[in-house]
Amino acid sequence: MMLKVKEILMLRRGLLITAVLFAPLGAQGQDRPVQWQRTSDATEIPITVFHSPQSANLPTAETMLKGEWQFEISHRFIPPFKNGPDALWGLDGPINNRLGIAYAVHDRGMVTLQRTNLNDNLDLNAKVRLFEAGRKSTPVMVAVVGGVAWNGDAPSLLDGSTRPWQYYGQLTANVMLGERFALGVVPSFLRNPLLNTAQAQNTYSVGIMGQLYLSPHVSVLGEWNISEERVGQEYDAGTFGIELETGGHFFKIMASNSVRLNPAQFMAGTPFSFDPGEWRLSFNITRLLQL
Amino acid sequence: MTQPNVSRRVVSVRSGTGIRVFSLACGLLVSMSMDATSQEFHVDRDAENSVRFISQAPVEEVVGHTDRIDGYVLLNGERLEEGSPTEGTQLYLEVDLASLDTGLGLRNRHMRNNYLEVEEFPYATFDATIQGVEVATAGVFGVTARGLLSIHGVEHQRDVLCDVSARQDGYRARCTFTVLLSDFDIEIPKLMFLKLAEDILLELDFAVRPAPDR
Repeated sequence: MMLKVKEILMLRRGLLITAVLFAPLGAQGQDRPVQWQRTSDATEIPITVFHSPQSANLPTAETMLKGEWQFEISHRFIPPFKNGPDALWGLDGPINNRLGIAYAVHDRGMVTLQRTNLNDNLDLNAKVRLFEAGRKSTPVMVAVVGGVAWNGDAPSLLDGSTRPWQYYGQLTANVMLGERFALGVVPSFLRNPLLNTAQAQNTYSVGIMGQLYLSPHVSVLGEWNISEERVGQEYDAGTFGIELETGGHFFKIMASNSVRLNPAQFMAGTPFSFDPGEWRLSFNITRLLQL
Repeated sequence: MTQPNVSRRVVSVRSGTGIRVFSLACGLLVSMSMDATSQEFHVDRDAENSVRFISQAPVEEVVGHTDRIDGYVLLNGERLEEGSPTEGTQLYLEVDLASLDTGLGLRNRHMRNNYLEVEEFPYATFDATIQGVEVATAGVFGVTARGLLSIHGVEHQRDVLCDVSARQDGYRARCTFTVLLSDFDIEIPKLMFLKLAEDILLELDFAVRPAPDR
């Protein structure tokens, strides 16, 4: 009798041990198998500061994905708003127009060809994104731009010759402050800012740009380009406006005291002061495509 | 008087050891029989896998793609067969949403940041059990799985039908189904030029191979 009790106790103990030992294997079918494990982390989200590769006129450090194309049409209405309804606040024109096309040769590099009717300026530039950091703190991004412009309608000099070539280099350093405000500084160098002087000159400027992202699709932007004062380019160029973005477009509608479009024209300055009476309507439209 | 006791004690010890061994063996057999009849497969990350979503709005078709799918299948049996038992089966798939590429960086960013909010919800998952296995065509099984589809932090019960064919020592599965963005609290952009359909077609094409031996 005693033996039976002991045996029953041992059997129960044995079954208990078995249950404890093998319960996890049984439970495994209800939960996750022990073997499978995630083999890599989720893809890192790319750093973004400015959403668009360009602010109103200044380059941002943003580039496009390799293989992407960007088409652009931009206008600078020459009559100021103050001309009122007779000039349809400037919309009657005339205008300075730019058509551009850009291609991303690499995720970090893009080339842009753009032409404006002001002096028939044909511009070719390349932008390379050098650096980005601060994914989980303060995102920063740095890029350089180098370009050359040829003015088909360059004015004749006293000796009858022309000096149609311009060269420039820009550094653009961008930072995202908080979650919504992007700030950038763009020191620039330009060779031959004035096409009608006897000698080619060098000039430097510093652009400052900011953009406040109000929603996924709407932002307000402003930029100021501090330039050297010279005849015909006495003032700094200031621009402010609104940007609408979709999955493939940027629409910028702005007011500015500058009507110069291409980089070698814009960065040298403007003949108009930033007085509200000198503000002019302008817009940029860009479309991204993967052909 | 003591001898029998000793003897009985010895007997009882032997008997107790036998019972222990027996009960342990029973337990092992039970668990071994489960292991013997169930087979775990993992998504073969080295194979050509593909997850596509297709949005066919009136103006524009948007296609997103990634190869970053992972997960496992637990079969109740060594191999998939028509009428395979479905008790205890599992299917778990997850897609790395930040890796989705629509062909435009700007559109990717909008998708990641504004609609899928991948920083908060990095994976879309399907956590299911197999409901049925039948022969669809020669060499292809139609496998129905039922479970929770989770996107954007919202879960929905879904039945998903996959065509499964043998591949080396594993399988290749092709699953197609449609999801409504509104079911997963994903807002459809209302601005002009944002052409996204309410119903999104999902196509999964992935390979699984037997889990490595434990």
